[in-house]
Amino acid sequence: MGKEFNILITGVGGQGVILMSELLGKAAVADNLRVRGSEILGMAVRGGSVTSAIRIGEDVYGPLIPTGKCNALVGMEPSEALRNISYLSKSTLVLLNTVVTVPFTVSIGESTYPSLEEILRQLGKASDRIIQLDAAKTAQDAGSRLATNVVMLGALFGTGQLPIKTATIKEAIQAHFPAKVAPVNIKAFNLGYEACRQAIK
Amino acid sequence: MKDLTVSSDAPGQRLFVLGNEAIARGAIEAGVQVAAAYPGTPSSEILETMSGVAKELDMYVEWSTNEKVAFEVALAASICGVRALASMKHVGVNVAHDPLMTASYIGAKGGLVLLSADDPWAWSSQNEQDNRYIALQGYIPVLEPSSIQEAKDMMADAFKLSEQFGQLFMLRSVTRIGHARGDITLGEISHERRKGQFVKDRTKLVYTPREARINKPLMLERFDKIKKAVNTLPYNQLKLASSAKLGIIACGLSYSYTLEAVKWLGIEDRVSILKIGTPNPLPEELVIRLLSSVKEVLVAEELDPFVELHVKAIAGEHNIPVKIHGKDLLPRIGELSTRKLTEAIAKLTKARTPVDFASIDKLEQETAPLLPWRPPALCPGCPHRASHYAIRVASRRVARELGKEIEPIYPGDIGCYALAYNPPQEASDTIICMGGSFGIANGLAHVVDVPIVAHLGDSTFFHAGIPPLVNAVYNKANITMVIMDNSATAMTGFQPHPGTGYTAMGEETVMLKPEEIARACGVKFVEVVDPFDLKTAAETIEKAIRFEGPAVVVSRRLCAIIDQREKKKRKEKIIPYRVDQDKCNEKCNACIELLGCPAIIKEGTKTVIDSSLCTGCGICAQVCPYKAIVPE
Repeated sequence: MGKEFNILITGVGGQGVILMSELLGKAAVADNLRVRGSEILGMAVRGGSVTSAIRIGEDVYGPLIPTGKCNALVGMEPSEALRNISYLSKSTLVLLNTVVTVPFTVSIGESTYPSLEEILRQLGKASDRIIQLDAAKTAQDAGSRLATNVVMLGALFGTGQLPIKTATIKEAIQAHFPAKVAPVNIKAFNLGYEACRQAIK
Repeated sequence: MKDLTVSSDAPGQRLFVLGNEAIARGAIEAGVQVAAAYPGTPSSEILETMSGVAKELDMYVEWSTNEKVAFEVALAASICGVRALASMKHVGVNVAHDPLMTASYIGAKGGLVLLSADDPWAWSSQNEQDNRYIALQGYIPVLEPSSIQEAKDMMADAFKLSEQFGQLFMLRSVTRIGHARGDITLGEISHERRKGQFVKDRTKLVYTPREARINKPLMLERFDKIKKAVNTLPYNQLKLASSAKLGIIACGLSYSYTLEAVKWLGIEDRVSILKIGTPNPLPEELVIRLLSSVKEVLVAEELDPFVELHVKAIAGEHNIPVKIHGKDLLPRIGELSTRKLTEAIAKLTKARTPVDFASIDKLEQETAPLLPWRPPALCPGCPHRASHYAIRVASRRVARELGKEIEPIYPGDIGCYALAYNPPQEASDTIICMGGSFGIANGLAHVVDVPIVAHLGDSTFFHAGIPPLVNAVYNKANITMVIMDNSATAMTGFQPHPGTGYTAMGEETVMLKPEEIARACGVKFVEVVDPFDLKTAAETIEKAIRFEGPAVVVSRRLCAIIDQREKKKRKEKIIPYRVDQDKCNEKCNACIELLGCPAIIKEGTKTVIDSSLCTGCGICAQVCPYKAIVPE
């Protein structure tokens, strides 16, 4: 493991992007790792684009991931993953939730939404390691569509690349959610983890 | 998982926090007793964090009506020997500028710290002003952190330094400090609590020309002492590499990017680095030592060439033959980054960049046209959407009568309602500063002859909307002022304000009503409407526009986010609307084009409502000409 592991989480306001980076950060600290990060919320969380960087390791100083230096991109929404293409390199792991959220600007005719094929073709120019997941469906299988972000977190750990221990992130998930919904989230994590393992076999 | 929080008395323990929480923790460790602020991104979480633990730690914390008052509250505490913090975003310091410039003449008895949260790239601001220049103007020493750990440490230290030198200090944060996350190591919390004592001292506290002339030389003396002391502060560090031809002077956060860039380029042994934690005043001895040891220097700092100009002055004064770079290689606009530093340093050292940035840029440019535009928008169910629509309908009705070419003007303001400046509503013609809508409307009234309908929110009204309202009455400005009252400072995270009935510390208090203030100020037309009753709201605003003289309409309905939360708590069912496809004219699109609600979308040619987003406000049903939108 190198002394720097950079994770970029991208999505849309309301998808739980910030919570994912908080869980990762807490788990990293519990595992005695150095952690830095930052998020871009734009003017607010009102349906706009959200990206959050979490950087782990002894060689990390700044809060932002340098261009082309992302190790894993967690794309909660396809076009938002594409928007951050400049962080990718050939070896970046791209975990893509294929469920689309169309912005209202498309309805009012101010912009268009590309096809999933187009998005994948473009991302493929930057990275050779794209893993597609229907995280919303997996979350549904776990018991709640709201756990889509935790499914993606599970998938991230399923890559086997993270410097954080899987047991530690599970502890962080367990500690964050109320007892009533924690089991659903642990299940969502496990399903995401397995889905990723299957995909990279 | 350990159960640590920002108020835990657990020195040496590590905690994962937001930068603004780290800053709050620094103030807590210093034993700050008074903290005052007005919310503004990227500073709001500092006071929010402190208000959450104020009672437990015996601190007084308030949301003030504006930054000027916040600073005066803190200044008064300092005058009485109590440690005090005033926290605000960069443009908030403009509002506090008046007392600030004289506060530095007074000096500090209790440690006094001003937190200025600058916003390079103006992520959530109207400009990207560099407040180190304000500090320079006021002889206010500045601490600028390179990480959130240092932000915490500097904040804790700033109070001690302020008392040691008897001067007010500024901590300059930036968005990537306040809104960064990371682990910090906690320090000890001071539990010292002082009793405030006001000592009458006319020479120090009563400013007539005489006192200004007496105190300015004293302030200059204090500043000179600080100028010497910063050379040995741990926040300034010089690391000389023996064979270095290039020196980098890195201020604040730029230091983090510099360390990464130098390592990325693999030239750690070939550059000398001077880390700057006090841009005002600079550690002159360290600067001279670096300048004398290299042939070229790169000054890295965010926004304006503040350190660069001073370094050039030092080099000139001491006749040091060294070429100084800065904003010739790094941008004045936006945030710096590891990449920008890498490219600038590569240029100066002829080192190879580790990544082919040009090909990444090419791919990014090629990608841009594919991307949908996803701006932040007013939430589904937001009352501002209805208010904007009612203003538009009313203004157009009046304008039509006045003539074809008449176009009403809509001066706008700072707050959530500004999000409707995007299409399709395009509801603001000007957005400049807090309270600027009413102020600009005052001026327009005397130079143009069209309906002028200005709008601002409730918190903004209390902050800076009252003086221009009084001005409109006094100077007979024929304008309509709409106060969009959603009973929240919603944009920054629902902080309480004078209209909400409770304080930062959760205590109940009076609930001021904008309409009562307007009436008391002599406005003769004052009406309150519910924006969700579109017909009445539009009719009332129309009457206000036709009214000869200044008119006020308070458009009142609770913020949709708070409303939804409260309904959820009460277990109240939310009934979303749906489109009756038999009645809907697919080509009409009035609901979409007039309202721009994220819940109304096109599926092929069909117009549909996303029931997971719809809050059941029913505004679209009122707008639909075919009566095709109905409750589910």
